[in-house]
Amino acid sequence: MRIDVDWDACEGHGLCEDAAPKVFSVDDDGNLTYFFDGDEVPAEHENAARNAVGVCPVIALRLVP
Amino acid sequence: MTELYWDPYDKTIDVDPHPIWRRLRDEQPVYFNDRFGFYALSRYEDVDNANLDHTTYSSAHGTVLEMMSDQPYGGAHMIFMDPPAHTMMRVLVSRAFTPRRISGLEDHIRKICSELLDPRIGTGGFDYVQDFAALLPSMVISELLGVDPADREEVRLLIDKTFHIEEGKGMINDISFAAQIELNGYYTEAIEARRTAPRDDLMTALTEAEMGTDEGVRRLTTSEAADFTGLLVAAGTETVARLLGWAGALLAAYPDERAAVAADPSLLKNAVEETLRFEAPSPVQGRTLHSDVELHGTTIPEGSKVLLLTGSAGRDGRKYSDPDTYNVRRQFEGHASFGRGVHFCLGASLARLEGRVALEETLSRFPTWEVDHDRAVRLHTSTVRGYEKLPIVV
Repeated sequence: MRIDVDWDACEGHGLCEDAAPKVFSVDDDGNLTYFFDGDEVPAEHENAARNAVGVCPVIALRLVP
Repeated sequence: MTELYWDPYDKTIDVDPHPIWRRLRDEQPVYFNDRFGFYALSRYEDVDNANLDHTTYSSAHGTVLEMMSDQPYGGAHMIFMDPPAHTMMRVLVSRAFTPRRISGLEDHIRKICSELLDPRIGTGGFDYVQDFAALLPSMVISELLGVDPADREEVRLLIDKTFHIEEGKGMINDISFAAQIELNGYYTEAIEARRTAPRDDLMTALTEAEMGTDEGVRRLTTSEAADFTGLLVAAGTETVARLLGWAGALLAAYPDERAAVAADPSLLKNAVEETLRFEAPSPVQGRTLHSDVELHGTTIPEGSKVLLLTGSAGRDGRKYSDPDTYNVRRQFEGHASFGRGVHFCLGASLARLEGRVALEETLSRFPTWEVDHDRAVRLHTSTVRGYEKLPIVV
């Protein structure tokens, strides 16, 4: 499973980090770090990552099957 | 079976719209009101899809029914704009409202709560909205903007007046208008002062933020920054007051839920979400269709006004099990009450923080209370719903 990040849409609301702290991090300025950019999400984090995609309020995350 | 009727102005319906909204969801998910000429979508999925499809469901014609027009507004009011212009305005401030930035306000919010609630200990009771819920949000937003402490009481009273409602005229009246002009003058002066003497506050950030336009990168004019400030204040004040009022009423109506939260403050975060789902402080959002929409066998023509019933979406049994039960332990992935997509409530982090801290500080001082329903007064506009007065006995 991969995740596409729409970097222009992301506003740093940080809900993805709440849902999947091992996958996403948002700094004080709201800048997003996606730890697996361009890679497969490790199987042990897939459920958390899926939840993160679901909670993004500005739809900046998309699952790539 | 009575005829199914709903509009956002009717005060009698507004006391408890949920039975009507349930019938709309079940019987007429694409409801048309021919008296006022609008459609209404009431199911969670339809409201959510409309929020996400900002190209079809435009905000540019206004989002409050009595102020919606055939022509786009054309101003710089972010709530009444579509991308890409909307995006340019929104990036100016979105970074100021990130959860980490906002979490820095927690101690300050707690301190204001103490100042407002401590004098009420041992008094037997107070008005939870007038004496607390309506005061806290404007005090917090003044801190965020950087209003001088000496001016805050005056600014708070002015903000209060901007929400003045007159029978028959609603939000458009002389008292509100005069207060808006005076406030705008205050912001204009404060923003002008920050151009020469910057501070670490949001008004300074508005003078420094750059936006990309068709004519290149530019900064906001003082007038634009003052309007923007007014928008942030308007959006962040009344809604939070209504949220806290609903929490005060619901926790009294569900004493077992209140006892659970009082005993375990880790439930507070979820209690705020459940309150937002159960009684959305802003239950109705307007959109204008930029193309025909085919939904549940009905064609809604381009140009139609469509009201999204956010307050109904929160009670949709297709989305939530046992939707009419207020349950602070409810496990759910979200609600429509902050919207979703490009217009997602920019102040959601702030509202959530104010809600959690305010309830925690309330419960630690007053673990139980009763609402004096005979003296409680509802407040109702076509986009906001809640209590204006909520006298409680502690």
